[in-house]
Amino acid sequence: MLELSSLSKRYGDTQALDELSFEVEPGQMFGFVGPNGAGKTTAMRIVIGVLAPDSGTVSWAGSPLDIEMRRRIGYMPEERGLYPKMRVAEQLTYLAELHGLDSGTAAENAERWTERLGLAERRGDRVEELSLGNQQRVQLAAALVHEPDLLILDEPFSGLDPVGVDVLSEVLLGEARERNVPVVFSSHQLELVERLCDAVAIIKDGRLVASGSVEELRTERAGRRWLVEFEGEGGGGGGGHWVPALAGVRSVSGSVFELDDGVDPQRLLDEARTRGSVRRFGPESPDLAELFRDVVADDSQALEGQPL
Amino acid sequence: MTDRRAIFLTARREISERARSRAFLASTALQVAIVVAIVVVASLTSGGTDTFKVGTVGDEAGAVTDAATAQQEAFGVELDVQTLDDEAGARAAIEAGNLDAALVEGTLLTGSGPSETLTALIQQASRDVAGTEALRSKGVDDQTIQAALQPEPLEVEELGEESSGGVAFVSSLLLYIAIISFGIAVAIGVVEEKSTRVVEVILSTIRPVHLLAGKVLGIGLLGLGQLLLIVAAGLIAAIPTGALELPDSTVSTAVLVGVYFVLGYLVYACLYAISGAIVSRQEDVNSSSAPLTMLLVAAYLVGISASNDPDSTLAVVATFIPPLAPMIVPARAAQDSLPAIELVISIVLMVAATLALLWLAARIYDRAVLRMGAPLKLRETLRLVR
Repeated sequence: MLELSSLSKRYGDTQALDELSFEVEPGQMFGFVGPNGAGKTTAMRIVIGVLAPDSGTVSWAGSPLDIEMRRRIGYMPEERGLYPKMRVAEQLTYLAELHGLDSGTAAENAERWTERLGLAERRGDRVEELSLGNQQRVQLAAALVHEPDLLILDEPFSGLDPVGVDVLSEVLLGEARERNVPVVFSSHQLELVERLCDAVAIIKDGRLVASGSVEELRTERAGRRWLVEFEGEGGGGGGGHWVPALAGVRSVSGSVFELDDGVDPQRLLDEARTRGSVRRFGPESPDLAELFRDVVADDSQALEGQPL
Repeated sequence: MTDRRAIFLTARREISERARSRAFLASTALQVAIVVAIVVVASLTSGGTDTFKVGTVGDEAGAVTDAATAQQEAFGVELDVQTLDDEAGARAAIEAGNLDAALVEGTLLTGSGPSETLTALIQQASRDVAGTEALRSKGVDDQTIQAALQPEPLEVEELGEESSGGVAFVSSLLLYIAIISFGIAVAIGVVEEKSTRVVEVILSTIRPVHLLAGKVLGIGLLGLGQLLLIVAAGLIAAIPTGALELPDSTVSTAVLVGVYFVLGYLVYACLYAISGAIVSRQEDVNSSSAPLTMLLVAAYLVGISASNDPDSTLAVVATFIPPLAPMIVPARAAQDSLPAIELVISIVLMVAATLALLWLAARIYDRAVLRMGAPLKLRETLRLVR
């Protein structure tokens, strides 16, 4: 288990991380989301040890991460990092050796991963000669070539075409499910995070604003949103829409309404009944994108309320 | 992973990547060609031993050429004497260019523009033969004649250092080129890793000081290999031409070139590594390393002046200043103007400076290499040392 406890990091006047804590279980796909500048990259760089936190600790299986254990991490930096003039297979072999593998195993792994990621024909090419898509694949192979025990990937999906997204998703799920490796990745593609991840952490301004399994977060946030559909004009979700004459009820989209605290959802149902025969009625869970907007927006409202 | 393995892996990468690069191969080939060309040109223009083909007709002439052959060493030439049948044959052979000169009954036939050394030698031999005949007819014994006409040649003591100035000049030039090109390679290598962010991946596996050590070591070994190859090519080129007389100090100078490349490269590699670590973009490394390049150029200029005047105050003082010494010490040694005690002090100072700079560079590199953004100013850089 990977555990981040109370990580804080300050750059000049900017508090990049503020008491950030969360845990990642073995075999878990863990999505790390937040607006730009929220501190995701800072947190990841602290985990892989290229940045020291001002305070707080990162531990793995109960003990603090040292350089020996960090060698077992597979890391993909956001701005990518490969030697542009080095040949693909030699580069992967070299990186695997730096991660502690002997030369024979390193070369075998480089061959296996280039094969698996469709780079077999490109082994002797320099990285700078490859297409961007293939460079991304080499970058992925670089994170995986030493059979890591933990994967930390900063925006691995950015810049990938749909096929690349599928390949990467499949590989990451494979690592998590088959080798029980915790996979932590940051992304702005929230549908993707929702589809792939068992758990997420949402951060903003260096602080954790929500974390847990996607399901947990959705039920936590449910209860305020209700869906109601009825036979009759505007009741089907499509076409026109109706506006309930109720205080404390706002239309979110088509037939979903957000209720203020203390408003009884039954009154929404009652009003719908007066308009037609109700087909569907129930609490509506937000998807991750809505959730993200909610928690991030809530937070900024809270900040706005503070005296300057 | 052991520290040694980390350094080995990074050094090996530097060597295998760079040794195959077109730029390295081209610069090696170019420098070998230049040094060989210098040696060949020097051998063609320098004195050396010339060989002359001389023909003789008749016994009298034979006696003269025998006497000339006996003294050829003192004149620094070599005679290849051929006996001919008659004067016509001798003339034909000279006109055809097969002979440089021929001696026929008191006449020296030569091609146009005869060698002054050759004619002087033949004239001297002719006087000796005539003198010997005259004295012998007066009943003087051969031993007395020999002592009178061919005394022990005077010992020649050459003053000045002209002949070794060339070696001094070449050694300064080679060291300058080697240190500047491999020093800059360190700076560019450091900033390349920073600007491509590969340094983040590397430093999640090994410590910064090991990455730096491997880089400096790998590039340095490659530089030393290139330098040895160039020096060897120059020395080998000097053998078949044979004519080039290298001063006795050449071999010890070559050894000093190797020693001062290692020490000088380490001093500058540390400084260049710092100049690479304090910037984040390739285009900034030129300005951050400019002071070092200027220092090297200054050292080279002092080296040239030391080739001309190895005992000047400037040359002596520079011997004890580590960033300058590499281009000065071998140049002075080539001209035998370097007392052993000065050499020892210079090497001790170089080693001390190298150790101090290795420590300084490791410390600054460790703190600056992952820092991205505007180039660090000198004051900010020095603050990192604390």
